[in-house]
Amino acid sequence: MSKGVLVDVTRCIGCKSCAVSCKTWNDLPSKTSTFTNNWDSPGKVTADAWTIITSFVIEQGDQIKWRFVKRQCMHCNEPACESACFTHSFVKTKEGAVIYKPTELKQDYCVGCRYCMIACPFGIPSFQWDKAFPYVQKCRFCYDRMKEQGLQPACVTSCPTQTLLFGDRDKLLKEAWDRINRDQRYVKHVYGEKEYGGTSWLYISDVPFDKIGFRTEAYGKPVSQKSIPSYTWDVLKWTPYIFFGWGAILTAMRAYTKRRAQVHDESELYEPEKKG
Amino acid sequence: MTNSFTDYKNSDVFLMIGANPAENHPQVMRFAGIAAAKRGAKIIVVDPRFTKTAAKADIYAPIRPGTDIAFLYGIMNYAIENNLYFHDYVVNYTNASFLVSPEYGFSDGLFTGLTEKDGNFSYDTKTWQYQTDGANIKKDPTLQDPQCVFQILKRHVSRYDIKTVCNITGTPEDVYRKVCELYCSTGKPDKAGNLLYAMGITQHTYGGQNVRATAMLQLLLGNIGIAGGGVNAQRGESNVQGSTDQAMLYHYIPGYNPCPDVNTPTLKDYIEKQVPKTSYWSNRNKFIISMLKAWFGDKATAENDFCYGWLPKHTGKDHSHMAIFQAMAEGKIKGFFAWGQNPAVGGPLASRTRDALAKLDWMVGVDLFETETVSFWKRPGVNPADIKTEVFLLPTAMSYEKEGTVANSSRWIQWRWKAVEPPGEAKSDLWIADRIFKAIRKEYQAGGKFTDPILNMVWDYDVPGHDEPDIMKVGREMNGYLVADGSLLDSFAKLKEDGSTACGVWIYAGYMFVDPALKVPACQRRSREDKTGLGLFPKWSFAWPANRRIVYNRCSADPAGKPWDPAKTLVAWDGTQWITNDVPDFGFKDANTGAFIPPNISASNCFIMNTEGVGRLFAPTGMKDGPLPEHYEPIESPVKNLISKQQNNPVAARYKGDFAKVAHTASPEFPYIATTHRLVEHYQSGAVTRNCPTLAEFMPEMFATISPGLAKKLGVKPGDLIVVSTVRGEITCKANVLPIVKPLKVNGSEIEIVGLPWHWGYQGLAPGSTANDLTPFVGDPNTMIPEYKAFLCNVKKASGH
Amino acid sequence: MERTWSFRFTPFRFILGIIVVVAVVAAVMRFVFGLGAVTNLSDEWPWGLWIGFDLLCGIALAGGGFSTALIVHVLHREKYLPIARAALLTSLIGYIIALVSLFLDIGRWFNFWRPFFYWGYHSVLFEVFWCISLYTMVQVLEFGEIFFEKIRCAPLQKILHFFMPFLLILGIVLPSLHQSSLGSLYIVTIDRLNPLWWSMLLPFFFVWSAFFLGPAMVTFEGTLAARSYGRAPELPVFQSLTKVTLWMMIIYLLVKIGDLIYRNELGRAFNGSFESNMFLIEMVVFVIAPIVMYATPSIRTNLRGVVTASFLVVAGVVFNRMNVVFTGMADAAGGHYFPSMWEWIITAGMWSALILAYCFVVENFPILPKEDLEHHEGGKAHIEAGKSIHA
Ligand SMILES: Nc1nc2c(c(=O)[nH]1)N[C@H]1C(S)=C(S)[C@@H](COP(=O)(O)OP(=O)(O)OC[C@H]3O[C@@H](n4cnc5c(=O)[nH]c(N)nc54)[C@H](O)[C@@H]3O)O[C@H]1N2
Ligand SMILES: Nc1nc2c(c(=O)[nH]1)N[C@H]1C(S)=C(S)[C@@H](COP(=O)(O)OP(=O)(O)OC[C@H]3O[C@@H](n4cnc5c(=O)[nH]c(N)nc54)[C@H](O)[C@@H]3O)O[C@H]1N2
Ligand code: SF4
Ligand code: SF4
Ligand code: SF4
Ligand code: SF4
Ligand code: SF4
Ligand SMILES: [Mo]
Repeated sequence: MSKGVLVDVTRCIGCKSCAVSCKTWNDLPSKTSTFTNNWDSPGKVTADAWTIITSFVIEQGDQIKWRFVKRQCMHCNEPACESACFTHSFVKTKEGAVIYKPTELKQDYCVGCRYCMIACPFGIPSFQWDKAFPYVQKCRFCYDRMKEQGLQPACVTSCPTQTLLFGDRDKLLKEAWDRINRDQRYVKHVYGEKEYGGTSWLYISDVPFDKIGFRTEAYGKPVSQKSIPSYTWDVLKWTPYIFFGWGAILTAMRAYTKRRAQVHDESELYEPEKKG
Repeated sequence: MTNSFTDYKNSDVFLMIGANPAENHPQVMRFAGIAAAKRGAKIIVVDPRFTKTAAKADIYAPIRPGTDIAFLYGIMNYAIENNLYFHDYVVNYTNASFLVSPEYGFSDGLFTGLTEKDGNFSYDTKTWQYQTDGANIKKDPTLQDPQCVFQILKRHVSRYDIKTVCNITGTPEDVYRKVCELYCSTGKPDKAGNLLYAMGITQHTYGGQNVRATAMLQLLLGNIGIAGGGVNAQRGESNVQGSTDQAMLYHYIPGYNPCPDVNTPTLKDYIEKQVPKTSYWSNRNKFIISMLKAWFGDKATAENDFCYGWLPKHTGKDHSHMAIFQAMAEGKIKGFFAWGQNPAVGGPLASRTRDALAKLDWMVGVDLFETETVSFWKRPGVNPADIKTEVFLLPTAMSYEKEGTVANSSRWIQWRWKAVEPPGEAKSDLWIADRIFKAIRKEYQAGGKFTDPILNMVWDYDVPGHDEPDIMKVGREMNGYLVADGSLLDSFAKLKEDGSTACGVWIYAGYMFVDPALKVPACQRRSREDKTGLGLFPKWSFAWPANRRIVYNRCSADPAGKPWDPAKTLVAWDGTQWITNDVPDFGFKDANTGAFIPPNISASNCFIMNTEGVGRLFAPTGMKDGPLPEHYEPIESPVKNLISKQQNNPVAARYKGDFAKVAHTASPEFPYIATTHRLVEHYQSGAVTRNCPTLAEFMPEMFATISPGLAKKLGVKPGDLIVVSTVRGEITCKANVLPIVKPLKVNGSEIEIVGLPWHWGYQGLAPGSTANDLTPFVGDPNTMIPEYKAFLCNVKKASGH
Repeated sequence: MERTWSFRFTPFRFILGIIVVVAVVAAVMRFVFGLGAVTNLSDEWPWGLWIGFDLLCGIALAGGGFSTALIVHVLHREKYLPIARAALLTSLIGYIIALVSLFLDIGRWFNFWRPFFYWGYHSVLFEVFWCISLYTMVQVLEFGEIFFEKIRCAPLQKILHFFMPFLLILGIVLPSLHQSSLGSLYIVTIDRLNPLWWSMLLPFFFVWSAFFLGPAMVTFEGTLAARSYGRAPELPVFQSLTKVTLWMMIIYLLVKIGDLIYRNELGRAFNGSFESNMFLIEMVVFVIAPIVMYATPSIRTNLRGVVTASFLVVAGVVFNRMNVVFTGMADAAGGHYFPSMWEWIITAGMWSALILAYCFVVENFPILPKEDLEHHEGGKAHIEAGKSIHA
């Protein structure tokens, strides 16, 4: 059963308990950071901070809204990171977690090319730039807790306000829409239901998503609902045909033109440069 | 707290005033959230800053720091004028109908009885007393008599009409009117209004009266003693409740009994002066004598006043935090234990505090870290060679590295088991206290002045073969036992004045008593059973007093014992007997016969801790600065008091020398109002949290929040270095520019607010400048709490930036 | 032909040598201290100069190899034979550079061999990786023939010669594939890469441009080589090559415009934004201008004209790759990236190495066509000119 988490932005108080327990459970070190005007240091997910609480002060006339949004890997249904990786070092598990095999399963194939980072539409995978033997890092959906201990993710269990709800993705989707339909304050949109083919982490909010750091539009068009792998596949699937087709054509052409061509002894043709 | 966190889910309207639970008590938001989701509860937040809590509010009302009395009086006035107060509750359960002495008077900000003695003012409370004939107080249940409390209150608050209030507080009138309407909607029997407050209310030179105002509002609306209601102080330090229970405050001995003083040299005097005829305090003699038995064992006998003579006698002088540090600065104090405190960052005017430490011969820090206090002698800008103070640091175990109880705001005394071993040489505080006491006793054995109390103190917590004293033994002594066989008491009702019982802290009686069903000491119970569904959880740990979850719960039912709101029954009289979902906070059963006591008896004695047996809208005793709150300006204010000529609380606590410095009213050099606050990432002086790498990463640097408007005026961008200054000093920090603070319109003119977190100091992984280098050294006359929350400052762009 | 090896150090080559040495030092640092220590790469900009320029451009510029191979060995346009080997050589070196920079760039270089065994076949990079590796092998073999020819090892030469046809076909199919998939790499950047560049046709644009770049590159480097070695440039060859380029570029331009219209993003090219201006420069200066120049006989027929046009084409492809990797991504990526000193040094080192290698090989192997004497005399002048380049 594919699990997910429903994040209800209206409930979050920005207490960061989730971010702290993420670091604690996953033994992530911390660096000295610097002041951020929105009180959300370190400001973006890093190799050592897999989840952060972003903060947005929104002014509407003399009304103010202050919203806090937990960000981490979205655990896409069809992850770009997985499809991009040519050593298949990321994998979407049946539990829903998208995990990084080198650290999670000790299958150390990753070459550190960082194409996964280019591929992720949410800019999630982070790199251990300061290490001589670096890994790619990101939220692992506490796969170990889920798989081995049957526990909920560390962040979810430490949320005091029930902002984070863990469960089967389809049930969560239903819950999300129930809440939206019950209470008209909510924006009629579950972020992650369709974006890039859908994600295991889902968000509902009472302020438009583009105001709280989610990309809903790109260059004047709604962001893609097709998964990124499906795009690349559309071109990759042609490879074998091109390979053999193009090969065949070339051979044919060569055979055809050869008859007209007079033979050369190439060794007659070239010489080393003398005046170097 | 009269109620408990788990009870918040029963509230209909929250008035969160001067508290920011989203950052400081996150669990509050859990239960408030449940109330909102389950019963559509509404949240009102009253705060100078648009806080993380305000972000969750249905109504956010900005308020100028230090004007809460006006704000709360305005609501009371609105309730009275529009008849929205809970009439039956007010008549029966408050002193509204009581007649006050005809000499009582109030004019232009001052109450009758103000007397001046060599420059110091104080009130003589004679004229504030009730009219009596013989033993009983005169009343007028019609509430018409001009001298009855209700009429006095009505006159008093009538001056606080919405216009005046908003001129003082700077709250927009439309918003304020909404607040009045919404909160007064809880004046109905079946509606519960929950008033949460914390330091925004208390940290003022009239903080005590601020709290009184919150209580009066709740009485007026019948919100005390009911599920989902209450006056709920969001307490502080994880065990501050416990430490006040143990008489951390200098004018108390354990269990909130007044400290013996020079006027009560003998037990007889004490009992005469301090044991009232009425109210539950009439048992105080039992509490004191049992305490003395616990302290001095067989040495304490009826013949020798149970060694009452051995107790030190308080002179009535001020020995509060500020007084101590002034004395220290004057060189009157030679030695100092900084035991789990960091005044070099947390104390008012911390810069002077640090200087004062240098006047000591010796200082002992008992702490987890080398705090700013412990390292004051090598702080930036001083030469250690110039400081003669000898400093010791005793490393101590943290809460998770030792066993014991922690009492939370809900008065739940919860046992905490040790999770990990303390690192290195760290020892539990109990171990340290134990060794120090033994060492002192050893010294006294060699003779000296007045050695008896030390030599004869009961001190038997050792377990053979164990390094750590037995904390269970300490617990049993606090809980109380029969002297005869040492068997533990289950309730303070069993305490005796004849020396047959011993009990260290009467309110804790029963907390170590083994639960017959669960087979563990009460405070170790963890049963989630909640039959009523009201979140009372009677078998989760132990709530003092007597495992009562909601105090004054008699008030949840009408005089006949019928619950105001049957859906939230705490206690109910079914005609023959009491239904008791919560432990009744009144005499409901005859101790001897076991027969039920009918409701009419307890109806007139529903506030069993008050001598008059009812809630006090008007306080003849107990307050040093007036029987009623009155709006005064903070000692440092940008404006003249609009409601009276009396600018400040006449009896506010003030200090001398360097500590006397305050800016004068409407000072042009310091045009902005500063207030200090907390952040979720850091705890207090940051000693612990600025040493936690993760928390240091999440909130790395000291900053001051200013409005975008002010930033523009000063040419400051977010993250620029700015200098914040007061008449007492200046600090440099980063500029935080957010509309979460906005200028307030006070009596027509706009006044900027500056928000300062106070978690930083020069030690730890994330050092930063200390807000308290700026704060004024003045305080409330009742509690001596410093005025941390309202003072005048200036802000400049730091030169070279 | 004798077996002796010769390589003369001119001051110019000496400087190149120094740069290479410094670069090697930098490379060592990178391995010891990690990428963060020597590069300005970040989570926002995981790919920088090495991938964007050395790899993408290196490979593209090496495109001359397979296009001339196609023209010469498949279409048997023998008149182009003289440049065939030179093209092959630059291409081979280009690929080696690409591989080296890749090796430097990957964080877990010690795992470089893993992809051969653990297949993420759903990855575009998988295709790129395999094609590039195989193609480099093919080129090595192709070059092997020349090598054995030099060291007079007839038997091996024979064997290779026997397989040559097959190798030649592979040598065109493989690069066609990965030149295109270098474009496909950026398909994943939908919604982030500016729509002026993002398109499902990226693979086509990449392979097509790599192809028409070939002749231009050959022309350009051909003249460079000629000048430095004081030979007469193969002007006639170059001139006729331009026809190929010309037509391919016209098609390129038309498809580009068609694609923009189809996705109705054409307007974006004129919205005055930084991206749009960069795009217009790319199109006007580096596509339309060369087309015009190639199309005008007066320009096409004189050396300076052809070379300038070819240079524009070469520069244009580089410009295009840079736009895709940096200009088009900047907005979405956020943060900012400018290569660190060390990144520059290492890049410079690699290109210096390329030049040195090229010189070494052409001076020791039969790469350049035999010249007749008058040419030689006539070339005297060029020798000086050539020196001036060396210096
Ligand atoms: N994370 C965290 N939690 C804590 C602590 C901590 O340091 N960090 N400290 C603990 C302790 S010891 C305590 S006492 C509590 C304190 O808990 P709180 O009292 O909630 O903490 P503060 O932030 O000091 O003050 C609360 C609010 O009062 C507002 N305020 C300031 N002046 C006024 C005023 O005049 N009127 C009104 N209405 N509001 C005003 C401030 O803007 C602030 O938002 O928190 C406890 N919990
Ligand atoms: N400007 C301004 N100043 C304020 C306030 C404000 O709102 N504004 N709030 C005031 C309030 S409400 C309070 S409560 C005070 C708090 O003022 P302090 O109590 O002085 O500050 P804390 O940081 O809580 O100090 C607690 C110390 O105990 C140590 N400690 C932690 N656990 C243990 C333990 O188990 N044993 C021992 N022995 N030590 C331990 C910590 O390391 C820390 O050094 O600050 C006051 N200061
Ligand atoms: S969010 Fe990014 S990293 Fe996470 S699964 Fe999706 S593509 Fe992979
Ligand atoms: S960096 Fe590792 S995980 Fe990411 S794509 Fe490259 S090999 Fe795969
Ligand atoms: S799921 Fe686990 S890894 Fe992911 S953010 Fe939560 S705690 Fe961190
Ligand atoms: S723990 Fe819950 S409330 Fe706190 S920041 Fe995380 S999501 Fe928000
Ligand atoms: S005491 Fe602990 S759990 Fe309770 S609110 Fe504070 S931080 Fe949260
Ligand atoms: Mo506190």
